[in-house]
Amino acid sequence: MKKYFLIAKNTWDEMLTYRVSFFMWRLRTILQLLTIYFLWFSILPQNKSLLGYTQSTMLTYVLGISLIGSIVLSSRSYIVGEEINSGNLLNFLLKPINYFKYWFSKDIGDKSMNIVFSIIELTILFIILKPPFFFQTNLAYISLFFFSVVLSVILYFFFNLLLGFIGFWNPEVWAPRFIFIILLNFFAGAIFPLDILPGKIYLFLKLLPFPYLLYFPLKIYLGKLNFVEIFTGLTISFVWVILIYILVKFIWAKGLKAYTAYGR
Amino acid sequence: MVGNMSIKKYIRLWWLMTSMVSQNAFVSRFGAIIFILGKILRFASFLFFLIILLSRTHALVNYNIWQIIFFYTTFNLVDSFAQFFLREVYRFRTYVISGDFDYILTKPIPTLFRILFGGSDALDIPMLLISIAILVFSIGKIGNITTLGVFLYLSLLINGFIIAFSFHILVISIGILTAEVDNALWLYRDLTAMGRLPIDIYKDPMRFLITFVIPVGIMMTFPAKALFGILSAKLFFLSVIVGLTLLYLSLRLWKFSLKNYTSASS
Repeated sequence: MKKYFLIAKNTWDEMLTYRVSFFMWRLRTILQLLTIYFLWFSILPQNKSLLGYTQSTMLTYVLGISLIGSIVLSSRSYIVGEEINSGNLLNFLLKPINYFKYWFSKDIGDKSMNIVFSIIELTILFIILKPPFFFQTNLAYISLFFFSVVLSVILYFFFNLLLGFIGFWNPEVWAPRFIFIILLNFFAGAIFPLDILPGKIYLFLKLLPFPYLLYFPLKIYLGKLNFVEIFTGLTISFVWVILIYILVKFIWAKGLKAYTAYGR
Repeated sequence: MVGNMSIKKYIRLWWLMTSMVSQNAFVSRFGAIIFILGKILRFASFLFFLIILLSRTHALVNYNIWQIIFFYTTFNLVDSFAQFFLREVYRFRTYVISGDFDYILTKPIPTLFRILFGGSDALDIPMLLISIAILVFSIGKIGNITTLGVFLYLSLLINGFIIAFSFHILVISIGILTAEVDNALWLYRDLTAMGRLPIDIYKDPMRFLITFVIPVGIMMTFPAKALFGILSAKLFFLSVIVGLTLLYLSLRLWKFSLKNYTSASS
């Protein structure tokens, strides 16, 4: 366990080595947040609601998505495909280390750093913008929210591995990731809450794994779901985690058989 | 020899370099198709969101749905145009840190031309065509568009391309001085993405900042406003001055960075 803690800690050191890159990444996150924030700010008048959202709940949604995004979507495991293509995977196969735990530890290191900075940035934005914000006080909702975020983190980690494993058969690992990020931005609710979509599209989306990465945890936080809906959502989310885990294990086993350590 | 190169030769050179890079891009047809699809999907998903949103609200900061689509597509056109022509800038960091930049400097081709236009990206062509088609269709839907409006729109669009061009010169100049290119480029992309919607949605001082300090508004919003006939003559001329000033400053910085290039990595 200690070695995985050290891997997470080393990830902090790596990120602090490339401080400009990290600073730029955070700056970009703020810019993306501001675009969506001002869009909703100009659409939703104060004291009125639109599409089932008041200005307060919508701006909480936008700011909350930014925080959850820094928890769920920040990762290091996105370079697994490159590691396979370059032949570096061989180094890990020869070491007494669990490859999955190694990357999960790196992801945790990355996430913890991003969470710290995200909280600082959001605090500064709060002071400057003074947005109306909805504070959830119900402990049951808060606990379920955290549980849902944990499932999202695991789900996203498996997605990253799955996309990286394409490298076992095809050197083109960035193109599928590009499509995935676009789908994620749209279907995970990063730009808007998914329930503003027409009913049938929304119902279909609820069956996919994407909404459980960002949208669903935040809806729990906002108290916009009853306990039956939360239970159903958590079950779907859990089923996706299990399914993708099985798929990851299967493809990993198949991939290793196809792997020729090309590049080494 | 370099000074004597005619426009015709520049175009032939650009075509030659673009053909070679395009062949390279299509080595992996799977990757090329996925990237093209991804670009279209990215455009379509945000467009779909805008349509859903405006079908409920009917207007956004006093613009109707077709005007908002026009703003968004204008952003997309400027963005795709810059990516199409200036894709080589995305590879510039590799040239600097590997020392290949020295090799480019010794070639009998103007260095700035080679670095900016040395690898136009054919994968952006479908998105450019789609943007143009939607713009033309939107104009038909908006109505009340004058010939003067179209002329001003096209003029400010060229001005927008000049600003995009200048930003890329700034990025490569910074790249020579600091070896930092990728982050600066992505920052530029995110800043310009604020122009997906009319800058009227932002509050001051941010609106002022993204209009005149980082002229995203001039690049993306002002051309469409000119077409709708709601941009004052003062702002039109100010936009041109900002564009030309930025071009002048970026060229100055380029010359400065070249003089200070130490070739440390080669």
